[in-house]
Amino acid sequence: MSWKLGVDIGGTFIDFCAFEAETNRICTLKVLTTPGAPGQELGTGIRLLQDRHGVDPGQIDGFMHGTTVGINTIIQRKGAKLALVTNAGFEDVIELARLRMPQVYSLFCTRPEQLITRDMVFGIAGRMLSDGREETAPDLAALPGIVEAIRAKGADGVIVAMLHAYRDPSQEHAVKTELARLAPDLYAFTSAEVWPVIREYERTTTAILNGYVHPRIAGYLDGLYATLEDLGAPAQPLLTKSNGGLMRAEEGRTACVNMLLSGTASGVIGAAWLARQAGEDRILTLDIGGTSADLAVIIDGKPQFGTGEMIGDFPLHVPSVSVSSIGAGGGSIASVDGFGVLKVGPESAGSTPGPVCYGRGGTQPTITDAMAVMGILGHSDIAYGQLSMDVGAARAAIAPLAEAMGRSIEATAEAIVEIAISEMFVEVEKMAARYGIDMRDFTLVPFGGAGPLMGAFLAREIGCAKVMAPRRPGVVSALGGLVADLKSDFIRTVFEEVGPGAMPRLARALAELEAEGEAWLRQGQGFDGPALSQVTADLRYAGQSFELETALDPAWIAEGDDAAIAAAFHARHEEVYEFNDPGTPVELINLRLVKIGQRPGLETLPAPLTEAEAQPDRLIEVWLDGAWREVPLFLREALEAGYRFAGPAIVAQEDTTFAIPAGFAAKVDGHLNIMLEQEA
Amino acid sequence: MLDKVTLQILANHSRAAAENMAHTLYRTAHSTFVKETEDFTVMILDPQGRTIAVPMDLGATWHVGITYDGAIDMIDDYRPGDIGFTNDPYSGFVATHAPDTHLWMPVFHEGEIVCYAAGHIHNTDMGGAVAASLSRSLTEIHQEGIRFPPMKLVNGGVMDEQVMRIMTANVRKPDLNIGDTKALIGALKTGAKKVEGMIAKFGVDTFRAGLDGMLDYAEAQAREILGSIPDGTYTFCDYADEDSQGGNPVRLKLALTIRGEEAILDFTGSDPQLASSLNVPTGSDPRHTLLMVGVYYVLYTLNPKILLNTGLTRPFTCIAPEGSVLNPVFPAAVGMRSLTCARLRSLIFGAFGLAIPERMPAAPAGSSSIVNVMTTDERTRKSVIAAINPVVGGGGGMPHRDGSNGSGADAAYLKNTPIEITETETPVRFERYGLLQDSGGAGRWRGGLATVMEFRVFTPGTRITARNRDRSVFRPWGILGGRAAGPSDMNINPGKANEQPLGNTDIAVLQPGDVLHIHSAGGGGRGSPLEREPWRVLLDVERGYVSEAAACADYGVVLRDGAVDEEATAERRRAMAPRMGQGHFRFGPEREAFEAVWTPAAYDQLTAILDALPLHWRFFAKTEIFHRMEGDVMDALDAVRADFPDFPAIRLAEAAE
Repeated sequence: MSWKLGVDIGGTFIDFCAFEAETNRICTLKVLTTPGAPGQELGTGIRLLQDRHGVDPGQIDGFMHGTTVGINTIIQRKGAKLALVTNAGFEDVIELARLRMPQVYSLFCTRPEQLITRDMVFGIAGRMLSDGREETAPDLAALPGIVEAIRAKGADGVIVAMLHAYRDPSQEHAVKTELARLAPDLYAFTSAEVWPVIREYERTTTAILNGYVHPRIAGYLDGLYATLEDLGAPAQPLLTKSNGGLMRAEEGRTACVNMLLSGTASGVIGAAWLARQAGEDRILTLDIGGTSADLAVIIDGKPQFGTGEMIGDFPLHVPSVSVSSIGAGGGSIASVDGFGVLKVGPESAGSTPGPVCYGRGGTQPTITDAMAVMGILGHSDIAYGQLSMDVGAARAAIAPLAEAMGRSIEATAEAIVEIAISEMFVEVEKMAARYGIDMRDFTLVPFGGAGPLMGAFLAREIGCAKVMAPRRPGVVSALGGLVADLKSDFIRTVFEEVGPGAMPRLARALAELEAEGEAWLRQGQGFDGPALSQVTADLRYAGQSFELETALDPAWIAEGDDAAIAAAFHARHEEVYEFNDPGTPVELINLRLVKIGQRPGLETLPAPLTEAEAQPDRLIEVWLDGAWREVPLFLREALEAGYRFAGPAIVAQEDTTFAIPAGFAAKVDGHLNIMLEQEA
Repeated sequence: MLDKVTLQILANHSRAAAENMAHTLYRTAHSTFVKETEDFTVMILDPQGRTIAVPMDLGATWHVGITYDGAIDMIDDYRPGDIGFTNDPYSGFVATHAPDTHLWMPVFHEGEIVCYAAGHIHNTDMGGAVAASLSRSLTEIHQEGIRFPPMKLVNGGVMDEQVMRIMTANVRKPDLNIGDTKALIGALKTGAKKVEGMIAKFGVDTFRAGLDGMLDYAEAQAREILGSIPDGTYTFCDYADEDSQGGNPVRLKLALTIRGEEAILDFTGSDPQLASSLNVPTGSDPRHTLLMVGVYYVLYTLNPKILLNTGLTRPFTCIAPEGSVLNPVFPAAVGMRSLTCARLRSLIFGAFGLAIPERMPAAPAGSSSIVNVMTTDERTRKSVIAAINPVVGGGGGMPHRDGSNGSGADAAYLKNTPIEITETETPVRFERYGLLQDSGGAGRWRGGLATVMEFRVFTPGTRITARNRDRSVFRPWGILGGRAAGPSDMNINPGKANEQPLGNTDIAVLQPGDVLHIHSAGGGGRGSPLEREPWRVLLDVERGYVSEAAACADYGVVLRDGAVDEEATAERRRAMAPRMGQGHFRFGPEREAFEAVWTPAAYDQLTAILDALPLHWRFFAKTEIFHRMEGDVMDALDAVRADFPDFPAIRLAEAAE
């Protein structure tokens, strides 16, 4: 017996998903987090897994971990105090950012306070040019004075970011080396070593995020190692990454930005895996927690990647699984304005104080309270018995809104849900237009604590043909770690017109990337299994100001086939933008390589189907579509493969509740997913 | 009547349709104007052409209350699959300069038009006298490119190729125009499909009731805001630096009357229309969107949950006299109306600030120069035309915080281009790009700092344009004791022996090795700088936003060894207090000096004289009177008459009053 353990720490819970290959067994668990001592819950959970499911820590030979410690450090602004050394004359690059602000209609729009304020930014003479020539050497003689100033202000580390360092990092390197000599106690990161991409603001900000979370992540990892050692687990821990892959935990100490979105990304990876098992490959994932709803699309089995995902107030520019987030979660607060119009969110009661019905100090009515009033929630233990539900308190909290709207409390509760769903609908419409897809062809996969509560309502609103509710929606992120591959991204900015003249340079760049990738995988990760390289390029028509990532066959570069590269871009441009322009020269901005170490695939065998009508545990009163209705309540553990039932229905389980409105036919598949199909 | 829950859900669905249109257009458009500058808008209109819903994420901010009826009505017999279009600023008053091309597509249900999907793109060029079709120096609309009065571009789903051929023959970058136009057509079709989906879901009656309900709701929200503003008439003037190349100031005047839940914006007293392209075409529409843009900002700022649609314009009535700069008569040129529109917005902010000083910020920088360079790349010997960056200034001091630095307020939608990208593509080398110390108006809440940019060029005859330059003379004003901000400026080779000041010019020619320096204005300050906590002033000094000298001179904060000298500060502030001045606004020395000669009464007198003249004499007369003004307008007028015996006789009774 050997266990692989996926562990994901979120805001409220730490989720466990353990898999035993021989017996094809999956065990899951949720434990409340201990925000005061992040990491402590890990030991608690592993011991509980042993007690309840017989998971022997000594037999855990795979440990895949996702954590929000990085992102929380940024959101709560509890990271390191940093200084920035950059080119004189460009000290304000991080404050100006890309100029455009959120809330463009408000005269009160503002930018967030920077993680490095202007008094901690130090400009030095020195200039690299866009073609890689050094116009002026960096003024290292200025550094002693800067170190003195940094010490006076008490910084922990320094970020070094110089113009055009993506082209030649030697200036940054020289500054970092001199800083290390002058102040060995200050850690330093250069912009090019974190992510060597053209665009100074994006590169600098990414390096700052890295340095900002570095000490906390390093400390967190120390704790993680100690816990695993105490438990006698032999596993070498791996971390889930923003790009949906894995890396050795040790690497997380320095490549901190690569794990900032670890939980979010592995949720999408886990959902993609579950859907693939069920034979679905066009997916809209819906992960709803306390404060937000995260949406992602999987097209033809592939998650979508992008850069510029927001981490709190700041964009992250390493490749990440694309997720759209809106402020509509279980804790989103409902209110009525002076005209009797109901609003839901973006204000949220979060997980603390949380919804009124949880009795943890919340006083304002939330979506969860609305669900409680409607009778959808409260039929089983919540969160494995760690929370209890007070419907009366929820009713009392919604009563004032009901009075203001001249509706019953139940009707008001349903209106809260409807408004929240229509807010999510706006976000889904944006995504559909961005990707050029029709959501009616997609299957909605809800997960997270509140995803299954809202998922079918949203599917009804956007017209998704199907909904797939995984058996264990609370631990999809933890599962994502179990099924992910080792994966890392490498980039070279080339900035050349695609043509015969550029090919030698491209070949050189690709060889370098391949060598970096191999070194990362073989030496860095100690991996000797099968590997894969995916080569892409950021291409554009000359004169465009945005690039389109296009997959390349490495053989084109090896054989000097520039025409094939251009043709691939024309085709891609047509696919995404619905037009192309074969007469215009193509520019290659960045060459990218993704190195993947393929881990043994996880397979679960479908159970044989027992075609039968599912029998409800009992009938309950639920307010749906404007009336109290007697609705069957099913217990999830009693729903076997092949069982069928029809909405309206409620399915209760230990980590969530699945609400199924009228108009859906439900069937349990061989992997125990509940598949809903909208009746025509 | 529609219930409020359905109304809110319909509002979300309508916005979803608009967002979907915006993302579709953004994804499929060709030009940098649409892709990078986001100079486009899309919306859903009701059958009367009133805007129902707009996107919040993408696009420009100018059209949330636009009404298309003027253009819609100039075409009859709409059929399914038709799309109308126009770019003519003088036909229907939907388009407001030639590059802006508006399209609208009727959506039918059972043979009746239930709404329109509509939008505009800013075309890179529409032909005419200059590349990009925009120059301050143009004097009549015919120089500003080809104009298409409202007509069908698409007939029953078939594009009118003849129209496209005429456009292709007349513009400089036809591929970009056609590509963007097709992208907008795609977006309109998407919007139409989304509306059909809404009708299928909610039923046509609910949908129709929803259109009215959404307009009524926005109107009610706007009325609630107006009701919270004290009744009264609030009069304010603001000035653009020049009415033409090297010309005289332009005065815009507003009497804002709040009565209950309604408001009148009377722009009488603003300058007559100009013999340059700074005119703002509004067609005597009492709720024309260009007159209302400042109002959109005020309303949204006061209630960020307000629904943005034409309904919010209903409680407002604008009066812009025909023949004035805010309501020019054909064929006045209008290409650079965006410069004047920036003043128009600050005019409105200023008047509302008088009415509700506790809730309004000081003036934003209000001059967003778009810097372009035309040069030769020495490596390829090819000529290069590139947009370098918008140079935008900070927001004004707010009621409870400093103005945002470097951009903000009514210019927050603009984006810059990374230096590394520009240097790779264009043969320029940046020497500096950042914030300008001491450029924010001093105040209890400091104005946002200006942006400064310096770059070197390497090729003879390199031409620079900096469209929309303003605020080099008349500074963004401070309020409630806050000071005016630093003005904008542009020069060549700053601090060198061959320095060359450029004043308010928006073009420059550089030679190899020359450095162009340009900076915007800052944002105005709010509240007395003597009330700013010394620790904040110290922080500003540490961050380089404020110099130690300015901390002492403007804020009365004395610093010693990196700390506040409390005693010296208290003493200095006591000494400064009596000299801090009175009144709601602080305009800075330039406007004070100007108004010492051109007192508000004198300028009113000038306006009256000009109003009494035939239209084609007004700009000439203004220029000549300005030239001879030494303190008395009537003396100056007499001098003009003496020099120009053909000057028309005017009845001066009311003018002289």
